[in-house]
Amino acid sequence: MAAYIEFRHITKVFPGQKALDDVSFSINRGEIHAIIGENGAGKSTLLNILHGAFPATSGEITFDGKPVHFSGTADAIKFGIAKVHQEIVSIPEMTVAENLFLGKEPTAGIFLNKRKMNAEAERILGRLQTDIRPTDRMGSLSTGQKQMVAIAKALDGNVKLISFDEPTSSLSDAEVKVLFDIIADLKKSGITILYISHKMSEIFSICDRATILRDGKFINTVQMRSTTRDEIIHDMVGRDVSLFAQRTIPSQCQKDKVTLEVENLSGEMFHNVSFQLHKGEILGFFGLVGAGRTEVMRGIYGADKVTGGTVRLNGKTLKCSSPHDAIKAGIALISENRKEEGIVPNLNNMDNMALPCLDKFRSAMLINTHKKYENAKDKGGKVGLRPNDPEFMTMSLSGGNAQKVILARWMSTDATVMIFDEPTKGIDIGAKADIYHLMEQMAQEGMSIIMISSELTEVMGMSDRILVMRDGRLTAEIERGQFSEENILNYAVEGE
Amino acid sequence: MKALYRKYRREWSALLALIVTIVLFSILESSYLSVANLTTIITQAVTYGLMGIGMTCVIITGGIDLSVGSALALVACIGAQLAKAGVPIPIWVVVCLAMGFVFGAINGFLVGVLKLQPFVATMGTMSIYRGVSYVITGGFPVLSVPRDYRNVFNFQITSTMTFSVVVFLVFAVIMTIVLKKTKLGAHTYAIGGNEDAARLSGVRVGRTKVIMYGLALLGTTLAGLVQVGRLGTGDPSTGQGYEMDAIAAAAIGGTSMAGGRGNIFGTVIGAILFSALKVGLIVMGVDTFYQYIVTGVVVIFAAYLEIVQGNMMQKGSKNEVRVK
Repeated sequence: MAAYIEFRHITKVFPGQKALDDVSFSINRGEIHAIIGENGAGKSTLLNILHGAFPATSGEITFDGKPVHFSGTADAIKFGIAKVHQEIVSIPEMTVAENLFLGKEPTAGIFLNKRKMNAEAERILGRLQTDIRPTDRMGSLSTGQKQMVAIAKALDGNVKLISFDEPTSSLSDAEVKVLFDIIADLKKSGITILYISHKMSEIFSICDRATILRDGKFINTVQMRSTTRDEIIHDMVGRDVSLFAQRTIPSQCQKDKVTLEVENLSGEMFHNVSFQLHKGEILGFFGLVGAGRTEVMRGIYGADKVTGGTVRLNGKTLKCSSPHDAIKAGIALISENRKEEGIVPNLNNMDNMALPCLDKFRSAMLINTHKKYENAKDKGGKVGLRPNDPEFMTMSLSGGNAQKVILARWMSTDATVMIFDEPTKGIDIGAKADIYHLMEQMAQEGMSIIMISSELTEVMGMSDRILVMRDGRLTAEIERGQFSEENILNYAVEGE
Repeated sequence: MKALYRKYRREWSALLALIVTIVLFSILESSYLSVANLTTIITQAVTYGLMGIGMTCVIITGGIDLSVGSALALVACIGAQLAKAGVPIPIWVVVCLAMGFVFGAINGFLVGVLKLQPFVATMGTMSIYRGVSYVITGGFPVLSVPRDYRNVFNFQITSTMTFSVVVFLVFAVIMTIVLKKTKLGAHTYAIGGNEDAARLSGVRVGRTKVIMYGLALLGTTLAGLVQVGRLGTGDPSTGQGYEMDAIAAAAIGGTSMAGGRGNIFGTVIGAILFSALKVGLIVMGVDTFYQYIVTGVVVIFAAYLEIVQGNMMQKGSKNEVRVK
């Protein structure tokens, strides 16, 4: 098959660093081509050049052998190169059609032509075979449906190539399936697809070929049919890393010591949830997105109101009306939404870490900066933060490192129960392994850990025990010996 | 030194602008640097500054306080009435400050606990405080406040300077320490940066706002008492539009209206710059009407500078990551 798009000797230099270094490879017409690499490997830079966000320092891109130059993303879209964004950007108060045509609204004179807009939207959505109506309010859609709208947005026009940047990071497994069907359909209709993801299983299940980048350099292009996970990972990191979440420290779960006991806890999104958490245990919470796992944890943590039930910590009944109370009692919650609910963007690493326990760093009334600094240096070292600079702005760190700052934050407190909500979401493989290891260490030190995860391999690899939730209720409790994908998924989807 | 420069880039540029302003006016008009004139600049800067410091604290939480002008009038009126009633001076001081704190804490309660929009909530109290001022005075200024009370915050320390300058500087230092060195201050910055993250990190957002809005209004209270000291009257119609001057001082000093960023040093410079500019225009004989226009332009320019420098800083930090 002839090369459709060719990257020829692409180099991109940013002040102080070469983001891409003489990268050459080609993409065939109508294939699903993955671009793989750790964070900072140059995937985004390459994509940005292709989409016209900025030009390459040297080298060129050709389509059907003809060099193309885009003056901006709008130019690239006109040519037929569209992008489905990693983070779904939409305006909740507007309708689906209005979101779809944002910035290119059909008009009649000075007025909006709503009829035409809705009809067009209907046509595009129909192509995706969804039941979303153009007049639905964007805010009323589920995450999966929003993703559909994002794809619909890309489909508009004579699109030749669509790139997906981490499209599944906020989708449930069921929604991922639908997405994959759509991608397969797009491929059938002759559209070329670039797929960027951290998730190996996805790449193996839908991609034809994959190009691996490392440190801005082209490493290899492989046929998915004739390669293995281990080979790809070896190419990515240049060293062998266990991809799967695996326990490296034997379980320290002390079955006779209950730390957290939840009885008949109910709230708006969940009902009669009861479970026990043991000292040194890693307890997995699995379920589809919307099953109510996060809500249960927020209820325990005092972030949301509960309507009934009791929570006991080390035998004592807890009444947490705010996170402040929960933290005092020794419970920590690491939110799934790192940007929105984790990092304080105007603070540097040491201030972000010290935030929940400033009392520890006080001399009399005043906060002692030196103590904060030492704490940050110490905890940063323990979590393997790079760069381990207490004065570095946390916001400027990569996803994995930012997550490590949040871990260091809670390690600075005296928490004995750590609740992780999707701890490795949007994090590259190297950092993932670090975070798994840290969780194990915490358990070994006698902390009790709850881990909400939507990744089966992760829950199965890490947990001592898995609780499955569906529609706001616990549907199963599975011991480590009985873990199997089918078993767990079965409870998550169909209940008993 | 370099680190100090980078950290306070915005404040240094305000300082530079202040120097340029003074040099420029003194070239254009030789009487600008006269003692009388400098006294006027400082007297006005004290008012802008005291109120601006409070405003800065509120803006860092991500809010705004439009009620400060009315609160100043209310404090001045009640303060003047209490003074005329002969309340012992130490008690008078404590009561006035407590009163100011409560007026601010009411704003903080509306914003932090009842979760009203700061703009709307303080617009409401702005009207209420003004109304109460008129009601308790019957609309007439409270005249001839006894000298002893007037001297508390405003006695002459030199032939040209009054104690109010010291009050201003001391308040600036105290609030700097509160913001930079206490848990309350750290929580204030965290709330302004990301309120949800702060709450989930155990920050009691409502409580912090109540206290911070309360402390912030102490600046206005002091400004009100200084004014009573200077004029000897408590005027219910005073302080109108002062909220704009306070916001201007904060904005010129580099406080981000989005919250989470700003400091007292910048606001102090901002207040002096603002005052130097206003007085300069008067000395130059520029019509009052034009002064409004110039003031507006300066505030907008300062806000624009904030955006430009914010972008530059973001780009800068991204580059740093790449290098590392």
